[in-house]
Amino acid sequence: MRMRPTKLILIIPVALLVVFFYVPLISILQTGLWDNGPTLKFISSVLVNSYHRRVIEFTVAQALASTVLTLAIGLPGAYIFAKYDFPGKRTIRAVLTVPFVMPSVMVALGFILLFGRGGIITDLIGHDLGILYSWKGILLAHAFYNFPIVVRMVSALWQRINPHYEEAAMTLGARGWRLFWRVTLPMLSPAIFASAMLTFVFCFLSFSIPLIIGGYRYATIEVDIFTSIMTLLDFRTGAALAVIQIVLSMVFMYLYLKSLDAYAKREEQRVMQRPRRMTLSELASLKGSLIITYALFIFIFIVSPLLAVLYDSLHFNGVWSLENYRRIFSAEYDPMFGASTLDAIRNSLTFGFATVFLSLLTALPIAYSMHRWNFRGKRVFDVLATLPLASSAITLGLGYIRVFSGTALYYTPWLLIAAYTIISYPFVLRTVSASLKKIRPNLWEAALSLGAKEWKAFLRVELPLALGGLIVGSIFAFAMSIAELGATYMLAKPEYTTMTLAVYKFLGARQFGSASALAVLLMLISTAGFLLIERTGEEVW
Amino acid sequence: MVSVELRGIQKRWEDFALTIERLRARDGELLTLLGPSGCGKTTTLRIIAGLEKPNSGEVLFDGTPVNDLPPYERNIGIVFQDYALFPHMTVFKNVAFGLEMRKLPRMEIERRVKRALELVNLEGLENRYPEQLSGGQQQRIALARALVVEPQVLLLDEPLSNLDAKIRERLRSEIKRIQRELKITTIYVTHDQEEAMALSDRIAVMNFGRIEQVGKPLELYHHPKTEFVARFLGSSNILELKAENGVVRLGSLRFNVGISGRVKMFFRPESVRVKEGNDAHVVDYEILPGRVRFKLKIDGKVITSEGLLSDIPFDIEEPPKRVGVEISTFAIL
Ligand SMILES: Nc1ncnc2c1ncn2[C@@H]1O[C@H](COP(=O)(O)OP(=O)(O)OP(=O)(O)O)[C@@H](O)[C@H]1O
Ligand SMILES: [Mg+2]
Repeated sequence: MRMRPTKLILIIPVALLVVFFYVPLISILQTGLWDNGPTLKFISSVLVNSYHRRVIEFTVAQALASTVLTLAIGLPGAYIFAKYDFPGKRTIRAVLTVPFVMPSVMVALGFILLFGRGGIITDLIGHDLGILYSWKGILLAHAFYNFPIVVRMVSALWQRINPHYEEAAMTLGARGWRLFWRVTLPMLSPAIFASAMLTFVFCFLSFSIPLIIGGYRYATIEVDIFTSIMTLLDFRTGAALAVIQIVLSMVFMYLYLKSLDAYAKREEQRVMQRPRRMTLSELASLKGSLIITYALFIFIFIVSPLLAVLYDSLHFNGVWSLENYRRIFSAEYDPMFGASTLDAIRNSLTFGFATVFLSLLTALPIAYSMHRWNFRGKRVFDVLATLPLASSAITLGLGYIRVFSGTALYYTPWLLIAAYTIISYPFVLRTVSASLKKIRPNLWEAALSLGAKEWKAFLRVELPLALGGLIVGSIFAFAMSIAELGATYMLAKPEYTTMTLAVYKFLGARQFGSASALAVLLMLISTAGFLLIERTGEEVW
Repeated sequence: MVSVELRGIQKRWEDFALTIERLRARDGELLTLLGPSGCGKTTTLRIIAGLEKPNSGEVLFDGTPVNDLPPYERNIGIVFQDYALFPHMTVFKNVAFGLEMRKLPRMEIERRVKRALELVNLEGLENRYPEQLSGGQQQRIALARALVVEPQVLLLDEPLSNLDAKIRERLRSEIKRIQRELKITTIYVTHDQEEAMALSDRIAVMNFGRIEQVGKPLELYHHPKTEFVARFLGSSNILELKAENGVVRLGSLRFNVGISGRVKMFFRPESVRVKEGNDAHVVDYEILPGRVRFKLKIDGKVITSEGLLSDIPFDIEEPPKRVGVEISTFAIL
């Protein structure tokens, strides 16, 4: 009998996507656009409301501003990384991975501890910089998360620009800025545009950061949906906002994917230029000191929120102490969110692993079929499988409340895991597909000619070669699931409280010490993920 | 071993069509597909392997259609131009792969891998990874990997084109030795006519997705049926002449061609022997290592002759103005 992988392998992924993404999505569309027939009245009532309109404008504006700030911080780094080797470069490069795995609740907490009243930097300078609870804090935190993307994507392309172009232009008389503007920049633009689009989309859909350090005045659409549903119980408004958000983010996501195509095409020209080792005298020059200053700056930028959290967790009433840790593990604190800290740790880990498992179960068959087969409607299928990228956790949470409340699934951890899977599987799909694409088709054909059936050739030859991408994708899925706040808040019964949710609740109760102690534990888990990514050596984007 | 036959094969892409009415590689034979870049050699090979589905036509192994068999059930061995060694597997694992797929016992696998590595003269590299091998070594591993499963058919797609000239010649004779030793039906793809001449039992010359002519190397060389084949295999003399009563006249020379009217007469420079006499005018000459090439004019037509220096019956430093000419082998295109 012949064993050939059939379209049957797509049954599980398609079922998961339909039940946990498309049905909830349709329910949201129905809530937002239907009242005994199609209607735009909920949408328009959101649009005429000055608060919601301001939120929408602010969401776009802060995403734009965050993107500009991110580019401003990231582009010099891209240049330095592409062109120079300097002492400590490896460390800095590794540190750039940290934001990918750090939960935003923790980073928000770090910002509070640095810039808040009585914060470390506030104390140091002697007055409040007004960063917290304003748009400045939001922008800074967004830059923290996204500038590594810019550094990595742009420097990767910069290294591959054939030096002959620049040399040819120089012989034709272009020099300095003119050379950069006329020759280098146009060749870099796909990377700049793709990384900027990605940054923009992330900032547009940002939740935890504006929720915690933006306050009521600086809400994004995502936060607005959340408060509409959770505090005002106004599902119509929530759904209308969600529809507006989905439409906008689909447009942005489309632009991002287009720009990514252009980027991938450019990246293929593999003229790798080794960065130049800087000599000691160069390091001492103006250029050298600028580079060192920049490296130091980004190191401090990334590490300081984390250190602030660590420092705070080890202080109680102004003295060094382990009291915070004792407290979070003591029984008297359980009633606070209905689960002990150990429960929260266990929940985070089990949900995380379950998410990785389900994400792989969803992403692998889709990646395989897109990689291997040509079938009718492949493009449509591709779009439908990628669409979850344009949705958000809060939107999913809303959809799940509409669809599953009253069913047996409601209030089970499965709904949480499903939500985590839907938001994180596209990343697994992307990293795995990207790795598969890099494998020469010959290898697969050689395996077939040697008697390997299709699935065996895939398992024995292609999958091992795509392992780096698979591991990085899995770590992402894990990191996203343990960092998720909004949908968890909306859907979790108290005993399914996760570490992230617990940190948030400690924050809400203004118990910063306990929040920090728990956040440090979260940080340890994230660090394990970070070390794993470093070991695979796979490019993250 | 088996014979491989293609019947009525058609394969179409937007800007390319492959058509093979009939092509047969006999049992144990080394058949070469020879042709310029883009003529469809690789495509033909991939159709035989089952890696490409033809739009129509049949592939037969020993008279049995294998069209519906996937590659992994055709019992073939392929060596790709870039070898396609699995980068994450050691040499041993690479060579053992096909045997593992056939679920042979461990001992048997080890024995056969060892023998295959001996066959290609590469013992002792079992634990290296492909990237730790030279191009020539990688090429042999790829060959061992293809051969170890004892395939019915061996398919080689320009297996030597990524190597430098010296290694190429050595591996060429090695491939031929192994092929003779195993008597395995082999289809060999190349665009290098020298390689094809040196290796093949028979050659199929391809052009623009069609087979122009199939035959033994010398038969194609001296008796091509088309101008393309004539020119592709080496330097040629092609003359447009008139035949009367089945006889072509070129100066004082006469050739029985059996037909009348305008003919295109073909012969190789090596078929033109220069001797003492008065048939042709010497236009120019060129001395090559051990050989000499003459440009001669007969009856207003310029022809080239090439021969061993030692066969020239006069002092080459001072050749006569006119020489005698004998054309041993010719063909009508
Ligand atoms: N998958 C494909 N899709 C479209 N066209 C193809 C495909 N594969 C091959 N072709 C076209 O078919 C023609 C023959 O290709 P093929 O690879 O068989 O040539 P070849 O004789 O092996 O050439 P070379 O010596 O360059 O390897 C080429 O014009 C090529 O562009
Ligand atoms: Mg080819």
